[in-house]
Amino acid sequence: MKYLNFLTPLTFALGLAAAGAASAQTLTVGVRGGPESMDPHFSALGSHAEAAKHIFDTLVWSGTDLQIEPGLATSWSPIDDDTWEFKLREGVKFHDGSDFDAEDVKFSIERIPVVTGPTTTAIYVRRVAGVDIIDPYTLHIHTDGQAATLPNDFIRLFIVSSEAAADYSTPETASEGFNSGAATIGTGPYKYVSWEPKGDLVLERNDDYWRGTGAWETVIRKEIPNDSSRLAALKAGQVDVINYVSSVDYLALERDANVDAIKGDSVYIMNLQLDQREKTPMVRAIDGSELAENPFRDLKVRQAIDYAIDRETMVEVVLEGLGKPANQMMPAGFFGSSEAIPMPEYDPAKAKALLADAGYPDGFEVDLYCTADRLPGDGAICQGLGQMLTQVGIKTNVNAISKTVYFPAQARLDYSMFMNGWGTLTGEASYTLGGLAHSNNPDVKLGAYNRIEYLNKDVDTLLQDGAKMMDADQRRATYEEAMEKVMADKAYISLVQLQTVWGAKAGMLEFAPRFDEDTLAFFIKPAE
Amino acid sequence: MLGFIIQRLIQATGVMAVMSVIVFCGVYAIGNPIDIVIPPEATQEIRAEAIRRLGLDRPLYEQYFIFISNLLQGDLGRSFVYNIPVLDLIGTRLPATLELVLISVLSATFLGVSLGIYAGYRPDSWVSKMIMAVSVLGFSVPSFWVGLILILFFAVNLGWLPAGGRGETVEIWGVAWSFPTLNGLSHIVLPAVNLALFKLAMMIRLARAGTREIMLTDTIKFARAAGLSESTILRRHLLKLISIPIITVFGLELGSTLAFAVVTETIFSWPGVGKLIIDSITVLDRPVMVAYLILVAFLFVTINFVIDLVFALIDPRVRHGVSA
Repeated sequence: MKYLNFLTPLTFALGLAAAGAASAQTLTVGVRGGPESMDPHFSALGSHAEAAKHIFDTLVWSGTDLQIEPGLATSWSPIDDDTWEFKLREGVKFHDGSDFDAEDVKFSIERIPVVTGPTTTAIYVRRVAGVDIIDPYTLHIHTDGQAATLPNDFIRLFIVSSEAAADYSTPETASEGFNSGAATIGTGPYKYVSWEPKGDLVLERNDDYWRGTGAWETVIRKEIPNDSSRLAALKAGQVDVINYVSSVDYLALERDANVDAIKGDSVYIMNLQLDQREKTPMVRAIDGSELAENPFRDLKVRQAIDYAIDRETMVEVVLEGLGKPANQMMPAGFFGSSEAIPMPEYDPAKAKALLADAGYPDGFEVDLYCTADRLPGDGAICQGLGQMLTQVGIKTNVNAISKTVYFPAQARLDYSMFMNGWGTLTGEASYTLGGLAHSNNPDVKLGAYNRIEYLNKDVDTLLQDGAKMMDADQRRATYEEAMEKVMADKAYISLVQLQTVWGAKAGMLEFAPRFDEDTLAFFIKPAE
Repeated sequence: MLGFIIQRLIQATGVMAVMSVIVFCGVYAIGNPIDIVIPPEATQEIRAEAIRRLGLDRPLYEQYFIFISNLLQGDLGRSFVYNIPVLDLIGTRLPATLELVLISVLSATFLGVSLGIYAGYRPDSWVSKMIMAVSVLGFSVPSFWVGLILILFFAVNLGWLPAGGRGETVEIWGVAWSFPTLNGLSHIVLPAVNLALFKLAMMIRLARAGTREIMLTDTIKFARAAGLSESTILRRHLLKLISIPIITVFGLELGSTLAFAVVTETIFSWPGVGKLIIDSITVLDRPVMVAYLILVAFLFVTINFVIDLVFALIDPRVRHGVSA
């Protein structure tokens, strides 16, 4: 009740009105982005899934460190090469009191490809060929060939009520039914109350939640995309907790006694990507003339670039300490990350020697592209990178631009050297290596995001084999080997693993940061 | 008069047709929304399917004709991002912008004109000099900075007013408004002040210049000679004579603020159309961008049309095509 200190005739009424909104049983969260729709099957964006997780449960749960755990399914196992058996949790009720059973799972899986939007959730069921209900709590899911990572795909398979959503399962009716709340019936910790696009999502507690009862009676998620405005709302007491505090504000928050800063490792790793085509558009000799060949095809040049990067300085100076040096494309401990990969050294002299060795004693000139508005610190890392490379003789013109320009150009293969953030959201290597490191091959549905035409036949074979291995240990070893080979090739150079910061009212909340950066009200508790 | 209206209507329709082509081509020439919205783990097949669904695989002219034929049926398409009709999306946000803009433009006009007349009537008093100094500030300080300072001072340091958002709303005729509640009003104050500052400065300058000019004319001298009181002269004669440029500027300011209150709405997280368009641009939500720009063009064409009509009513030379 800090308002009481400032009661003057002028502000009496205003202060009273504002103070009335706050109460101990309500958690108000200021988030950067919200859901696009109340239909959990509409979008695959992280912010969308984060909101959906309040109302709906997933078949498989991804834990704080993104390793998979039972959710609405209690167990799963492959029963032959292309069938998985899922056992479902019994006694779970939907918000309208009806029972959850296999029918709802089958309905949800079959609904997804029909109603999904442009950020398609079809990726979560892309391997499903058919669903058989064995009994109300047992399902057989058939896949198109061996699908070892099916349970990982299911971490965002939200289960809707087959009865409530039956009439709202065409592209035309889905958003209407779910946005109005008629079909927004889940089994999750909170029930839907109201939502408006880009506005507030209001939720009330589900007292019959199978994981237990949440700490907050009411949860309000306010969408405040502007970083400064979100922080101002926290400081002004309008919200209790905010996500994505910027690194600049983080330093100020550390000194502010009224606000707690909670720091957590992010799943996002910044990778430098070097075009492997024979002709590459954005590289030239120092005097501006054309080079005989693409220097990035020479392993020595790629190694030189790796030696030129001072990851410690990058973290300490550029990111204000909010990050860790990275040596591979996934955080340590993720399924398929390898402990055998050493942390790259910073050695500018060696870098210069390698460049001279490769036939570029005077270096060359290159345009470096990256986003400036997507991930915390992306533009700054890019600037730092440009200076480090220029120091060893690779004259680098930094272009930190908007993601609306960057991504389409990257997809057109316009760039020679570019930096991307990549988050291994499923917690395992096939997600990352399958998209980036396999050659782009629609026949095996791999390599769709390989925008540097990277090709290593051994890696291709390992990844294709790994996707079919039902034995987890064998698969882990295969992916570790693939990761080691990819990182040794240096076409993808991992730079730093980012960290994210939440801000909360001092001493008010307790929660564990998640790798996927989700802010989930059910797992936030009032401090003792 | 009827001929004049018909002629102006034909012109307005022509402008709208040209605008639709420019806006459509302009927006559709930038980038490819697929590369921004599609998740990276999507297979090549899923990507192709998404492109087909959004109709992006068709040639530009085909997309344009589909857009125009839908537009003529009153359908501006569906948002890529929200999958709800664009008109509904804009419709739910328009009241928020409308109340913010009306409150700030109206109060800026009333306050600005009164202060301006005073400053023009007594140009040498120290109060007038203060008013003019404030108006210089209003012109020269960037509004995003003023917005941040307002938040820092009134919301963060003093804690008197909320830092952003719209607060409590009340439904009137099925539309949510926030001005009828105290909580809602408290949310409007800061963004409205932020938005009004520049307009206030402009109105002061406009009114002062008009007043100084007209006070020296024969009209005022004769009125004084006729023994009219100073307050009657100010109300009856001066206000009427300086009102024509002020009404013109008021109309255009109202239009441009409605369309482009972007900075203020972004800083104060005000859920209006300005913020919607910025959000849509960052994810290349083409239907929203096109629909919004078409509506803005329509707004300005309408305002100009109405202003022309009003002038034609006042001044016969305009409707008879005689140059003034």
